[in-house]
Amino acid sequence: MRNVFSFRNLALTLLGGWLALFALLPNALVLLTSFLRRDERDFVAFEWTLESYRLLIDPVYVQVFVHSTLLAVAATVGCLLIGYPFAFILARQTPSRRRMLLLLIMVPFWTNSLVRSYAMRTLLAAKGVINEVLLWLGLIDKPLRMLYNDGAVVVGLVYVLLPFMVLPLYAVMEKLDGRLLEAAVDLGASRLQTFRRVVLPLTLPGMVAGALLVFLPGLSMFYVADLLGGAKSMLVGNFIKNQFLSARNWPFGSAASAVFMGLMGLLLVAQWSSRRWLGQESNEL
Amino acid sequence: MKKALFCVVWLCAALPALASDRQVFLFNWSEYMPDAVLEQFKEETGIEVVYTTFDNNESMYAKLKLTGESGYDIAVPSTYFVSRMRAEGLLQKLDKSKLSNLQHIDSNKLNQPFDPNNEYSIPYLWGSTGLSVNAAEVAVDSVRSWSDLWRPEHAGQILLIDDVRDVFSMGLHVLGYSANSTDSLEIHRAYEKLKELVPGVRVFDADSPKMPYLNGEVNVGMNWNGEVFQAVEEGADIAYIYPKEGAMLWMDNLVIPSGAKHVEDAHTFINFLLRPEIAKMICEAIGYASPNKTAIGLLDEAVRSNRTVYPTEEDLRGSEFQNDVGPAIAIYEKYWELLKTGH
Amino acid sequence: MSLLKSTYVLLVYCFLYLPIAVVVAQSFNAAKYGTRWQGFTLAWYEKALASPILVEAALNSLWVAMLAATLATGLGTLGAICLFRYRFRGREIMRGLLLALMMIPDIVMGIALLVLFVALGWALGFWTLLIAHITFCLPFVVVTVYARLRDLNPHLVEAAMDLGASEWRALRAVVIPLMAPAIAAGWLLSFTLSIDDVIVSFFSTGPTFEILPLRIYSMVRVGVKPEVNALATLLFIIPFVFITLSQFFSKEEERT
Repeated sequence: MRNVFSFRNLALTLLGGWLALFALLPNALVLLTSFLRRDERDFVAFEWTLESYRLLIDPVYVQVFVHSTLLAVAATVGCLLIGYPFAFILARQTPSRRRMLLLLIMVPFWTNSLVRSYAMRTLLAAKGVINEVLLWLGLIDKPLRMLYNDGAVVVGLVYVLLPFMVLPLYAVMEKLDGRLLEAAVDLGASRLQTFRRVVLPLTLPGMVAGALLVFLPGLSMFYVADLLGGAKSMLVGNFIKNQFLSARNWPFGSAASAVFMGLMGLLLVAQWSSRRWLGQESNEL
Repeated sequence: MKKALFCVVWLCAALPALASDRQVFLFNWSEYMPDAVLEQFKEETGIEVVYTTFDNNESMYAKLKLTGESGYDIAVPSTYFVSRMRAEGLLQKLDKSKLSNLQHIDSNKLNQPFDPNNEYSIPYLWGSTGLSVNAAEVAVDSVRSWSDLWRPEHAGQILLIDDVRDVFSMGLHVLGYSANSTDSLEIHRAYEKLKELVPGVRVFDADSPKMPYLNGEVNVGMNWNGEVFQAVEEGADIAYIYPKEGAMLWMDNLVIPSGAKHVEDAHTFINFLLRPEIAKMICEAIGYASPNKTAIGLLDEAVRSNRTVYPTEEDLRGSEFQNDVGPAIAIYEKYWELLKTGH
Repeated sequence: MSLLKSTYVLLVYCFLYLPIAVVVAQSFNAAKYGTRWQGFTLAWYEKALASPILVEAALNSLWVAMLAATLATGLGTLGAICLFRYRFRGREIMRGLLLALMMIPDIVMGIALLVLFVALGWALGFWTLLIAHITFCLPFVVVTVYARLRDLNPHLVEAAMDLGASEWRALRAVVIPLMAPAIAAGWLLSFTLSIDDVIVSFFSTGPTFEILPLRIYSMVRVGVKPEVNALATLLFIIPFVFITLSQFFSKEEERT
C-alpha cells in the first residue's frame, strides 16, 4: 500500500472501528455485567459472582422463559402454516402478477410494527370491529373477550411477523424448478411423496431462515405483549426490559440477554450447518 | 440521483432549525396534566413544556438514574420516592424565592417527614387508590371491600394497578395489616393472598386504568379516583368505591432532578402550577385533589362536593397514606416480580 | 389460479390488511370512543398536526432517519467495497460481526448500547440515538451493496487503474456509478428501518430528543386516542411511498 491514508486503510479503520466500538464492545460489556453484583446506587458493583445465572435457573424464571419460548414457537408455527402455502402459490404466478402480489406483502413488511400491533388491538378489542360485526350479525349477544391473553399475543406476533416468513420462503420457491416436480410425478411419485421428497428438502433453507426471522423477534418484541397481553404475558423482551428499566437489576437482565445471544448463536450455527448439509453455500456477504 | 441527494442534504440542514429553543422537560404520570395548562404556560412565557410519561414510580426512578445529567427538568414522584431520591442525591434544592405561590398550599400538606421544610419537593396533587366497577355490568352495592375482588364471579374481569405498592397495600389491607408494613412475614402473607387473585386478573395497567373499563375489557378492580372522575366526565357509567378496609392515599410532588438543565424555567413552571387558577383548572380537569387551599375555594361546587375527588372522613376510615418502607422495598419488589411472572 | 388458491391468497391479504384498513377508516371517524361510525371528520388529523410535541417528534424521526441512512450508507458502501476487494486479517471476524448484527434481537442490541452509553457516561439523546440507528442499518447496507458488487465485472476497476486512475478516482468514476441503484436501495432500506424502529430507540434516546414511534408507544399504552389513528395512517403511507420509489429504482436498474 502506498501510504497510510490509502482508501483501503481509511475505509477499514472506519468500519472496523465502528463495529468494534458499537457492536463488539457493548455486547462484551453486557457479558461482563452479567458476572457482576447488583448495586442499588450505581447499578453494578465490581465484584465477581454467578448470582445472576443462578437466579436464571430458579424455577419461577425458567417458567417465564419456557412460556415465552412457547409463545414464540407458536407464532413461528403459525407463520409457517399460513406462509408456506401462500409463498408457494405466489411463486407460481406470472411475473407481472407476482410483482404486484409481492408488493402487497412488502407494504406491511415495511410498516411500523408498533402501529400494526396497535391496529390488531383495535380489531380484537371488546368494542372492536370483530365484536361489533358479530353482535350486529346476532351471532353473539355479549362481546367476546379476545384481548389480554396468550392467544392475542400469538395472533399479534403472527400478524406482525408473517411477511418475515413469507419473503425468504418465496425466495427459495421462486428458484424451485417446476420441471423437477413434473419429473417426480412422471416417475410415479404421489403428490404427497413429491412434496416430501422434492419440495420440502429444497425449500428447507427458506423455512429455516424464515423461522429464525420470526422466532428471535417473537421472543423480543415487548410492545406486542404490552399492547395485546395486558402486561401479563411476558416475553423474554419484557423481562429484560423490566430488569433494566424497572427492577434495576442490571446483572440479571444482562445474564438473560447473554443467554438470549447464546441461543441466537446456536440457531445461526444450526442454520449454517443445515445449509452445508444441503450443499448450498451462503450467498450473503 | 444528484437532485435527490441535494434534496436530502437540504432537508437535513433545514430540519433542526425548526425545533423550539426554550423547553422544560417534564417527566410525569400519564393523563396527569391537562394540555390546556401547558398551552397557557407557553402562551404566557414562550416556554414549551415537553411532557414525557411514566407509569409507575419504579420506572420513573430507573429512567431518571439512567439519564443522569441529561434530560428531565421536573419529575413527579410520590412521597415515598421523594425521600429515597433525596437521600441518593438525585434531587436539587428548590429556590423558594422563585416560588411565590407556595403560600397557597395547605400547610397540612407541607413540612412532612419525607421532606422536612419542603426543601426538595412541592405537593402537586393527592388522591387515592380504591375500587371501581362498571355499573352496567356489576351491581355497585355488591362491591364494598377489597376482599370482594376475590369472589369467583369476578374472575377474568379484574383490573389491577400495575404498581407494586398499590397492589401490595391492597393485599396487606385485606389481611388487616398496615399498607406500610415492613414485616417480611406480613408481606409474604400478602403475596400468598394476592397469588390467589392473579389468575383472575385480566389486565395490569398503570398508564390509564380507566381505559380498560371504558373499553369494556374489565368490569371491576382497582382504580385511581381521578381516572374514574375523568371517565364519568366523559359519560361513562363507572363508580368509584372507597373500600371498607380503607383506601390507599398518596401524594405526588414536583421535584427538580439534580441533572436538570433548565432550572430557572423549571421554577417558573412550578410556580405557575401553584397559581390558584391553574391548580383549579388541573383539579377540575383530571379529578385529583389539589393541596392548594386557595384553589379549593375557587373550585366548581360540583367538583368540591364530589366524593370521588374530595372524600369525606367517613370515606377514608381505615385509609393510610403510603410511606417510605425503607429497605423493605426490596422484599416488595421481589414478591411483585414473582406475582407478575409466576402465573 | 384455482378458486381455492385465490380464496386462500385473498384471506391472507385480508389478514394483513384488515387491521390497517380499520385504523385508516377509524382515523376519519368522528366518534371519540368505540368503533361505531359517527360521521366523517378530519379533526383527528388537525389535532395531531396541531400538536407541537407530535410534530417535533415526527421531524426528529425524519431527521435522524435521514442522517442515519446517509451515514450508514456511506460507511456501509465503503465496508462492502473493502470486504469485496481485499483479503485482510480480521475479514472473517468483520463478516461474522456484520451477520450477527443483522440477526441480533433488537432488545439485546438495545440494552447492550444502553450499557455502553451509561458506561461511557454519554447522555442519552440525539447522538446516542444516531449511533444506534447507524449501527443497526449498517449490515443491511453492506449486504445490499455487496450483492451488487458480486454481479459486477471485477476487471472494471483494474482496467481503470491500469489506465492510470488512482484508487479513489477509480472508485468515484467507475464503481460508485455502477453501484448507484444498490446504494440508493441501501439508503431507502436504512431510512425505513430507522423510521420503524421502536425497541432499540427505546433504550438509546432520552427526553431531549423524542421520536415519533416512542411518542406513539406512550400514547397507545394510555389507550385509544383518535389522533393516534391519524398518526398511524400517516405512518402507513410512508412505506407505501418508499416502496414505490424503490420499485422505480430497481426498474431503472433493470434497464441499465
